[in-house]
Amino acid sequence: MPRTGVFICHCGTNIAGTVDIEKAVEASRNFPGVVHADDYRYLCSEMGQDLIKKAIEDNKLERVVVGTCSPRMHEGTFRKAAAEAGLNPYLLEVANIREHCSWVHKDIEEGTPKAIALLRAAVAKAVLNESLDAPELEVEKRALVIGGGIAGIQAAIDIAEAGYEVDVVEREPSIGGRMAQLEKTFPTLDCSACILTPKMVEAAQHPNINLITYSEVEEVKGFVGQFDVKIRQKARSVDPVKCTGCGVCYEKCPAKASSEFEMGLSKRKAIYVPFPQAVPNVPVIDRDACLYFRKGRCQICEKECPPQAIVYDQKDEFIERRYGTIIVATGFDQMSPSQYGEYGYGQHPDILTGLEFERLFNASGPTGGKVVRLSDGKPPKKVVFVQCVGSRDKARGMNYCSKICCMYTAKQAVLLKEKVPDAKSYVFYIDVRTAGKGYEEFQRRAAEEYDVAYLRGQVGKIFPEGDHLVVHGVDSLSGKIIEIKADMVVLAAASIARADAPDLGRIVGINSDSYHFFNEAHPKLKPVETHTAGIFIAGACQAPKDIPDTVAQASAAAVKAVGLLSKDFLKGEACTAEVNQAECSGCMYCEAVCPYSAINPVEIEERYHGGTLKRTVAEVNPALCQGCGSCTVICRSGSVNLKGFSNEQILAEVDAICLQR
Amino acid sequence: MAERNLEQLEKIREAVSQDLLSGRIELLLGWEKGHYWWQSRPLFASSEGDLARLTWDSFCAVNLSRYLLDELKDHQKVGVLVKGCDSRAFNRLLQDNMVQRDRVILYGLPCPGILDYNLLAAEAGSKLKGITEENGQVILKTEDGEIEVNRDEMLMVKCSECLYPDPVVYDQMLLEPLGQKEVPERFKAVNELEALSSEERFAYWEKELSRCLRCYACRQACPYCSCRECFVEQENPRWQGRAYQPSENFLFHLVRAYHGAGRCIDCGECQRACPVNIPLQELNRKLIKDINELYGDYEAGVDAEKEPPLLTYRPDDPAAFSEK
Repeated sequence: MPRTGVFICHCGTNIAGTVDIEKAVEASRNFPGVVHADDYRYLCSEMGQDLIKKAIEDNKLERVVVGTCSPRMHEGTFRKAAAEAGLNPYLLEVANIREHCSWVHKDIEEGTPKAIALLRAAVAKAVLNESLDAPELEVEKRALVIGGGIAGIQAAIDIAEAGYEVDVVEREPSIGGRMAQLEKTFPTLDCSACILTPKMVEAAQHPNINLITYSEVEEVKGFVGQFDVKIRQKARSVDPVKCTGCGVCYEKCPAKASSEFEMGLSKRKAIYVPFPQAVPNVPVIDRDACLYFRKGRCQICEKECPPQAIVYDQKDEFIERRYGTIIVATGFDQMSPSQYGEYGYGQHPDILTGLEFERLFNASGPTGGKVVRLSDGKPPKKVVFVQCVGSRDKARGMNYCSKICCMYTAKQAVLLKEKVPDAKSYVFYIDVRTAGKGYEEFQRRAAEEYDVAYLRGQVGKIFPEGDHLVVHGVDSLSGKIIEIKADMVVLAAASIARADAPDLGRIVGINSDSYHFFNEAHPKLKPVETHTAGIFIAGACQAPKDIPDTVAQASAAAVKAVGLLSKDFLKGEACTAEVNQAECSGCMYCEAVCPYSAINPVEIEERYHGGTLKRTVAEVNPALCQGCGSCTVICRSGSVNLKGFSNEQILAEVDAICLQR
Repeated sequence: MAERNLEQLEKIREAVSQDLLSGRIELLLGWEKGHYWWQSRPLFASSEGDLARLTWDSFCAVNLSRYLLDELKDHQKVGVLVKGCDSRAFNRLLQDNMVQRDRVILYGLPCPGILDYNLLAAEAGSKLKGITEENGQVILKTEDGEIEVNRDEMLMVKCSECLYPDPVVYDQMLLEPLGQKEVPERFKAVNELEALSSEERFAYWEKELSRCLRCYACRQACPYCSCRECFVEQENPRWQGRAYQPSENFLFHLVRAYHGAGRCIDCGECQRACPVNIPLQELNRKLIKDINELYGDYEAGVDAEKEPPLLTYRPDDPAAFSEK
């Protein structure tokens, strides 16, 4: 029996409050194999670690069990300490007597025996622990950023500036994302394009940045340091090398389609760049709209193109590259308010969403920058803004606050007043939320200096009457029913996750919350990490957020990525699966369930009746295996075992808990 | 034996003897008569002489596909007579990577269902000496004369509820297919068990499983049990205690049933092989029903190309534990 030491942490009163430490130490001395037991107020402190190291040396300990907090918290700390004392780190075992015990019990009479049982189980497992070595894995010194909005652009620039190569994959023909659609940005009212365009150009011209636009990530394999990614570059039908961006093609193109960039408020051509400042400034042919692709004739763009850059028979191409790390920055969508029948969205051209209204301010927008009613081209004199359309709505929408609407509504009301000086704005709100530097001041200015009426209450019905839109609402402060004859209504529709976010999550291997926003690894301490090592998230794909937060998060993700790329090697997973090939029947179900493609069939030869027999069995590639254990679960004969969590060890733990009460 | 059966037997013998003599197959897995007239046991035929013992009657219950696990070690090419259930068992083995399709010739035999000797004997009253069959009727020959009974009522439970009397995979169909047949509600017993309270259900299974001798005949007959070493026999770790007590019986049957989740072809061989008549098929059917309800209808063994639900991931798979 290996010489085992048990160390129990008080964690101040966190553990000592509900576990009788003295009793636990005494009990531990009697577990099979235990030759030393001790306790300390804070084992994770330097003094505590020294206590363990010294005891390992003095008592010639071969196994160590620490009864402390969750292994997620300090397993690494204690393993390191054990290694410093000359013990293989995997010979140390953590008994979680805080989260699994002291924190869930109030009564010391209940907590103590449970802590003792957990310690007994950990000792039973530890004596079966084996020395393990983590493989060293090379790091591919290149990053992938998925999404070319402000988050992706910022992250890419930061990584590139740190000296590493970075590819940015953007689905649309141009980078820029949502920010490119905005006219001005709160609270300073900078022109969005004026601050975004230089960053887009910087990204395009940076020697370390490679923009892959009009492309999507189709497959991600591998693991931190070595992600093998397959990117589909959709056929642009335009040769980006020959194209000079002169724009003759889209001037002459006779076919039109609804403009995605203008939120469908105007048309674009079948060959188009989404907006004038597009980067790269290379048009794309929308094959669903193009007359040549639909009917086989037209080809005007090909005839008119001076450098003859049109390539009709271009095909989708695949880029397969290896990346050390991935940042996901795919942004958000705006919820369609059409499910709110009472607001009449989609029934009347003057009922718009926030993002649609934004486009009316833009000089290259659907109205050339004139704020007018889309129904009759007249400037609106009375505009009603409705907040929280789909946000903070348990019954029909999203439970969360979309965070940006209060501020952009105040901004739009201010901008409206500047464009249409005699306009009057009304804002129906639940609460006005303006946390952020300069935000509250801005909103107050809108209310006080720009004649914006804030009405606390909800809108019950919006319907057209003659030239107007009648808005029925309640002012919940005065209790009065309010009726406004408005010229225009702007609905602050909820920010929601991209519809295909779950698909991307599956491809990349990160999970989402119930709203399909990607999950961070820890809401406070790991806000840009995910549960998958080497994959980070930034921007509104994680939760609704404004530009400053998005940029900050993007830079944070970039730092994490750079930190990873700065290493030549990473320590791989030591707790990997292994196959007992003599027992394996070769059904290969393990291969089917392995999320890391770490299991392959191999042929072995076996003695059989004096001769040999060839048969197929499973084999694990330890460099790819991440130790998730799916294979051990699917294997009916128990022929796959996970090192450090073997069937024997787990049964020993179960027996230690169940057999000795 | 009925005329029809003899006629069919000749047809079968002709087809397989050709292949055996020409060397297309080295071995034929079929049936021959056993010690009693109501038993037909597996036949391992490698010569024309062996084939003389071939039989095809209403007692060829034994699922032959499972014998491929052993026979393919010793023979390059093996022919197998397959009923509907045997053919689905073959698909099970194929999906589990236990057999190679190109090393097996399947001879399809549409099966009208196997007769249950216990039912026949009970019907006969006095000593039963033999039977003949005619137009869907079974004529029981007893010491006191002849009794005529409806054949459908004399079938084994597994056969009366069979959905696939015709082989679903074969190289050569030897007889006229019978077509889909009407079957009574297959999950009737499962529904009844589900309707019980958990205490009642536990008591039911405790009673049924208390008879288990742990002879493992169910496992030996089962086409989904193809492990080289069954968990019950493993020493390190020792999952299955040797003690003869209810909890160990539960462990064996529940773990075995879970091993068949999404894999059991519902051939009923476990129940037929059980010497103490434990209703094992209901355990398997509970899992079949659950999987159908969770992942959509899936019939294991019908199509070897169709991916088993527990080995595939689809975005719309239920995840009750993580849904809000």
